Amino acid sequence: MKKLKIIWNGIVPSNPVLILAIGLCSVVAVTNFVQNALLMSFAFSFVLILSEVIVSAIRKWIPDEIRVPIFVVVIATFTTIAALLSHAYFPAVYDAIKLYILLVVVNCIIIGRAEAFAYKNGIFDSLLDGIGMSIGYSWVIIAIAVIRELFGNGTIAGIHVMPQNFQPALVMILPPAGFLVLGVLVGWLEWNLKRKEAKK
Amino acid sequence: MNKITKLAVVLGIIGAIAGGVLAGVYQITAPVIQAQNLKELNKGLSEVFPGDYKFEKFSGTLKSPAPDVTFNSIYLVKKDGKLVGMIIDATSPGDQAPIEMLVGVNRNGTINGVKILKSLETPGLGANASNPKYYVNKAKKITFLGQFKGKKITDPFIPKKDIIAITGATITSTAVSKAVKAAGVAAYDYMSKEGGS
Repeated sequence: MKKLKIIWNGIVPSNPVLILAIGLCSVVAVTNFVQNALLMSFAFSFVLILSEVIVSAIRKWIPDEIRVPIFVVVIATFTTIAALLSHAYFPAVYDAIKLYILLVVVNCIIIGRAEAFAYKNGIFDSLLDGIGMSIGYSWVIIAIAVIRELFGNGTIAGIHVMPQNFQPALVMILPPAGFLVLGVLVGWLEWNLKRKEAKK
Repeated sequence: MNKITKLAVVLGIIGAIAGGVLAGVYQITAPVIQAQNLKELNKGLSEVFPGDYKFEKFSGTLKSPAPDVTFNSIYLVKKDGKLVGMIIDATSPGDQAPIEMLVGVNRNGTINGVKILKSLETPGLGANASNPKYYVNKAKKITFLGQFKGKKITDPFIPKKDIIAITGATITSTAVSKAVKAAGVAAYDYMSKEGGS
């Protein structure tokens, strides 16, 4: 039960995007199309989960003064591996999102979780935290991408769903709409959480 | 051991391990990536010159007539040993980053095909330049790049005049048109001087 709570924590109560509100720049950048968001989710989860596990495994040997440089080395290593592997085996896909994959290095969610959780907790708990945070990040960016692509391009993951005469609102796939949709989602979640609290 | 040495040693060890892991992954992926790039190049070349042609790397250089368009590499297109056209890999400054494209030019001075290799244009706007489903002429299903096919290099190549621009992406449209024109002029110039071979 306690273990499940660690995973659930990342999905809603401490959702990295909607509640903690960190790592927002890449959220705005990759959510214009569902395909980009999906691929970013994979790269992000790969790097976050493995980095948390490794940081947790070596935490006893990390001197306090240089923990941040060490986190960065670990994260950069996994990011580069993710980039090399996707370049070699999914070239078309990599071409579309290589910039975002490389930017995972400086994603503050990952360094934040390494510092706040993996550095202080065991390997298994860190693994669960990584999984929970990854799901939390993924569902939010995919939800934003579905809304933006639907209204901005009339498609979902490249498949036409809007009627033929639908005039796409270009602004939805430009960066400003990333903030707009994100703001609406944050508001919606807060409203729901408040309502639940009031019921109690 | 004093403190600062200890820190340096720990950081050094972790850096070395990370470097070793990366070197290993790189060794495995490098040949795959190289093979992909070669396949991509050949696919690109036969896309701008579809059919039974042989492509040869051109050993000389050509000067670009437009100052901001640069030529990266040039290929001769041959059929039965005869020069029938050229493909120029050209780079033009786009809206966000340089746009790299292959421009195929026929010996008679018309454009045979254009393919964008690398671009970081805005998705939904400039990125539509290489979208095979984005038609600048919906009735005839002509894509932005498709409209260059068969154009004479003596045409002006100016968006909103003889080129249909992409909606909301004039900079991208201009950058591509300029590079196509420059490559066309340079290649035709070479081919008309070279004569027979």
